[in-house]
Amino acid sequence: MAVGRFLTITTSVDLVRIAPDRIVYISSDGNYSTIVQADGEMRMLSCQLGQVERTIAAQLGTDGNLFIRIGKSLIINRNYVYYINIPKQKLTLSDAATFSHTVVASKEALKQLKELLEKEANGL
Amino acid sequence: MKELRELRDDEIRIVGGDRPRRNKRRPILWIASAVAAVAIAIAVLILVARGGQDTPTQPQHAPQTSIAIAPADTVQHLGRETDARAAGFTELIDTAINDVPLCLYIPHNASMTLHVGRLDKTDSTIVFAAQAADIRADNGGIVGAFVLAGEPLSWGLSKKGYCAVIGDTVTIGMADNSPLFERATETGGYFFRQYPLVSNGQLVENNPKGKSIRRAICDRQGEIMMVGTLDTESFHDFSQALVDLGVDQAIYLVGASSFGWAVDGSGMRHEFGNENTYTSGRHKMSDNISYIVWRRK
Repeated sequence: MAVGRFLTITTSVDLVRIAPDRIVYISSDGNYSTIVQADGEMRMLSCQLGQVERTIAAQLGTDGNLFIRIGKSLIINRNYVYYINIPKQKLTLSDAATFSHTVVASKEALKQLKELLEKEANGL
Repeated sequence: MKELRELRDDEIRIVGGDRPRRNKRRPILWIASAVAAVAIAIAVLILVARGGQDTPTQPQHAPQTSIAIAPADTVQHLGRETDARAAGFTELIDTAINDVPLCLYIPHNASMTLHVGRLDKTDSTIVFAAQAADIRADNGGIVGAFVLAGEPLSWGLSKKGYCAVIGDTVTIGMADNSPLFERATETGGYFFRQYPLVSNGQLVENNPKGKSIRRAICDRQGEIMMVGTLDTESFHDFSQALVDLGVDQAIYLVGASSFGWAVDGSGMRHEFGNENTYTSGRHKMSDNISYIVWRRK
């Protein structure tokens, strides 16, 4: 990703400008989305997760591949995937130093995420 | 901006990248469908090649049977479509999921708020009311964070499910910390906590055992509804029934004999629970008893 590149998400009333690698995940709260940041802060946006996804794709292009949409309710930063437990439907996002967030996703989605990361790890 | 297909909960997609990664069984289904189509085409060709003289030709406009299958991503609300100018009411639907008899309460042309204290039963603007947050047995306080018209009345996390009302938007979810609490305080909104039952279409297990009349407030494809059991059920069976109903998010509402009512399209009032729970016997109504209240717009 280009150094210094920022993701800028605007709504009619506010603006968030953040380096993509500082985003741990973005969750959906119905018509709202919440950015969970690496510094522990949470920022709520009055826009739906689909709009955030489209903004990432439009502004970052292929660099947006850093993020993976998981089902209807999550966009995660793949660099922070630390632990996947399919039977328990748990996904832990952590930098293994300062933060750890566990989120819930469907078994099938976690299975696909696991396969994707395995393939990438094996250079397939 | 490029349009993206709505994702299901069992799919993932690399943002700004390739197409969604679907369930691996689907390509097999597609291949099986293609093979079946080719086989049918060959069979038709053989029949045509045989001449078909002894086979009466079907009239071109013979009635045909067709089965309409809605795509999985299509939003299909359970409640009926109503005239937006009509007076508000609650649609009641009796159904059974997994042998769990349920009543669905779907408000139309109504908006939700919270209320603390005894409700006025004669308030004709109310089309649905049910108890919201639990009350502490020791001091009568509200269990968990609670915001009433922007004023925080209670703090703390004892149950991870939450329901927030910001403007006309009702949001149901599960989180340790929800920014919607602050949002509710900033915007004159409402917020309360209860047991989470369904999160993102997945069943959430809860500790309390035993069976009771259960109630919940649910979000199903954006349609907000209340659901009550007609028999006593366990938390697990109730949550499973909600999952099988297609509910995306659901949190508990006070069940058992807690009192409430719904007003249907003909103006008839349907009460549930026991109105006298707090006027007879040893129970005293807490000053902090809370209700979700849907009022006609």
